[in-house]
Amino acid sequence: MTAHERLLNETTSLCRTCKQAIPARVVADARNEVWMHKRCEAHGPQSARLSTNAEWYERTRAIRPKSAPVTRETRPVDKGCPFDCGPCESHAQRIRMPVVTITSACDLDCPICYVHNKNDAPFHMSRDEFGRVLDSLVRESGGELDLINLTGGEPLLHPELLSLIEMAHARGIHRVSVCSNGVRLAKDEALVEKLAKLDARIALSFDTFDKHTDRAMQGAALVDLKHKVLSLLDRHGVDTTLIPVMSRGYNDHEIGQIIEMGLALSCVRHLEIHTITYTGQGGASFDRSARISMFEVLEAIEQTTKGLLRTSDFVPSPSAHSLCYQIAYLLTDDEGGAPLSFLRFMERDELYACLEDHLYLEPTARLEAALQDAIDRVWARGDDSESARALRMLDRLVRTLFPSEKPLDAKSSLRVGERAAKAVYVHSHMDEDTFDTERAYLCCDSNCYADGKTIPVCNYNVLYRDKEPRFVEAPRPWGPRSGGARSLPIVTDARRS
Amino acid sequence: MSKLLEGSRCLVTGGSRGLGRAISLAFARHGARVAFTYRRDTASADETARMLRDAGAPEPIVLQGTVTDSAHAKQAVDAVVSAWGAIDVLVNCAAVMQVLPISLLEEQDFDNVMAVNVKGVYLFSRAALRPMIRAKSGSILNIGNFSSERVIEAPVHYAASKSAVRGLTEALAREVGRYGIRVNLLAPGMLDTGLALGMPQHRMREYIDQCPMHRVGRADEIAELAAFLVSSESSFISGAKIAADGGL
Repeated sequence: MTAHERLLNETTSLCRTCKQAIPARVVADARNEVWMHKRCEAHGPQSARLSTNAEWYERTRAIRPKSAPVTRETRPVDKGCPFDCGPCESHAQRIRMPVVTITSACDLDCPICYVHNKNDAPFHMSRDEFGRVLDSLVRESGGELDLINLTGGEPLLHPELLSLIEMAHARGIHRVSVCSNGVRLAKDEALVEKLAKLDARIALSFDTFDKHTDRAMQGAALVDLKHKVLSLLDRHGVDTTLIPVMSRGYNDHEIGQIIEMGLALSCVRHLEIHTITYTGQGGASFDRSARISMFEVLEAIEQTTKGLLRTSDFVPSPSAHSLCYQIAYLLTDDEGGAPLSFLRFMERDELYACLEDHLYLEPTARLEAALQDAIDRVWARGDDSESARALRMLDRLVRTLFPSEKPLDAKSSLRVGERAAKAVYVHSHMDEDTFDTERAYLCCDSNCYADGKTIPVCNYNVLYRDKEPRFVEAPRPWGPRSGGARSLPIVTDARRS
Repeated sequence: MSKLLEGSRCLVTGGSRGLGRAISLAFARHGARVAFTYRRDTASADETARMLRDAGAPEPIVLQGTVTDSAHAKQAVDAVVSAWGAIDVLVNCAAVMQVLPISLLEEQDFDNVMAVNVKGVYLFSRAALRPMIRAKSGSILNIGNFSSERVIEAPVHYAASKSAVRGLTEALAREVGRYGIRVNLLAPGMLDTGLALGMPQHRMREYIDQCPMHRVGRADEIAELAAFLVSSESSFISGAKIAADGGL
């Protein structure tokens, strides 16, 4: 640390070469940037920039997420974080985004791919194994699960995918989401139709409108294919999440255009923007100068959406470390006007509170009360044109959700709500360079196994995936490892930055 | 099961779906001849007519129109009297419910809910009373709602309309009792059908938590109570408000 640097916190990170856990210091420098400095005895000093805005970083990190301790059996701490996942008894957050890796097969080889895949004698999770994963998750959630995400590889290559989706719905899971690169969907409209009938959600990777960027990031020119897939998903009414991976200098200037497309397409429910992460078969060797921090993505969104979304329109998720997720909700205008950020009519604390216990907004009593408060407040505020427009949009939403003629069932109500209110999530993954056990302890996204074991996704991608014979031809053996003790507690001055 | 309504000539407004359908079917099972009105959903009305025939009712009379239309009310009552010679029972079940906070509640919303839920009851009751007074007998059953009295959040226009129906019921019972006509109000709690389906799930859970019986009501149990209330078994019950809400 130099004289111009200010210590923000100490934590445990990983060596980028040997992946051993090493102590790290997070500092703010004279340029107002946040850096992580660490030193591996075997591989020397290492640094990574975590943010370009120290004030935002500190303010955001100071927000303490809602306490939601794991309710099921945990593993005792043995080697220390992040080497005892299952989760270990130090893990401090329940699973809100369960991820099930159902196949190792993939029909692309993307330069930014952050996982390891295997196409020779590929692994396809059996129905029996998947059933046990579901049973374990449903049990842990107390019988009602908001969401499950099936991933791979390319999940659409799983020979029994449709049956797996049915199994998840049969257990009452609200949203069954399937990640996809879209290649198979573009060739098979009948499959899109079947997915629509099964009420599956497609989480479609969509990084760019530019063919050169596409080739650099996805290893192929897929822009036309993605547009075709989106038109098929739209035609058949398949709920869709767009997943752009942001990399600096490649596609960060396009984020506004991608958001606008997502808001305009009726099939798109959410956008989940990931920051590039340097793990996996492709990502580990991708251009490191493309690293982009959460704040830079928010800035890019503000700059490229022409005022539609500002940095101040985002709140962190109360279900995760506040540096992992930033969330904005927008109310769409079916009269053709620009969507309106919730924080233009709703208090920041109210939106934050509505996101407690769920990664996505759910039609809870709290949300109903928050919306009613917002409506009353906007109505009472007066007749200025912005209030009047917000009130008209909210009025239409309420009348659509609660028609006086024929009531909507819960499923239709959720769908109408999600069509009217779209979300933009920014999700910052970690790799060896940026790894911070403080964030890992509070991770709510986990890769889930049939025996009930769960591993936070960043830990999984950085450390665990390449040890599994089902995903790599030559699994890497574990070396000697010794993790960090629980890091310093996060400060408690909770302000919703 | 003893049949409570053998030969009774009954008219149910809003009888094609939900509680109205359940009441129509219960009346048919109890031996009544059933006519019902509906507004728009012809498919549901056809289905209800088929179910009534399956339940053993003679050819049901199906009448399309809105309860806010006085001509429709008169035509509906005339159709029953003309087909079956008299009208013994009227159930005012047609209603609308609209979830709106006061800040979004426009005059038109208020007028619409009051028109269907209150004026409709007045129009049909008045139309049915002419032949009932002539016959010096009859039974009118209005369908209220727990929201008119219980401490629960409900849209104000809907709660106001159901409170108005309670007042209408009590006043009318006093006025026409001397002709042997009974007028009662049945106020169900939240049910597994009809308007309650449009409530947010958490509202349903809230109801179940507050209700001593910890469940919502079934349309068929409310319909059985309706059959009892319009039958001669309850010949001395008039001007009453009977709640069936699990003890809320």
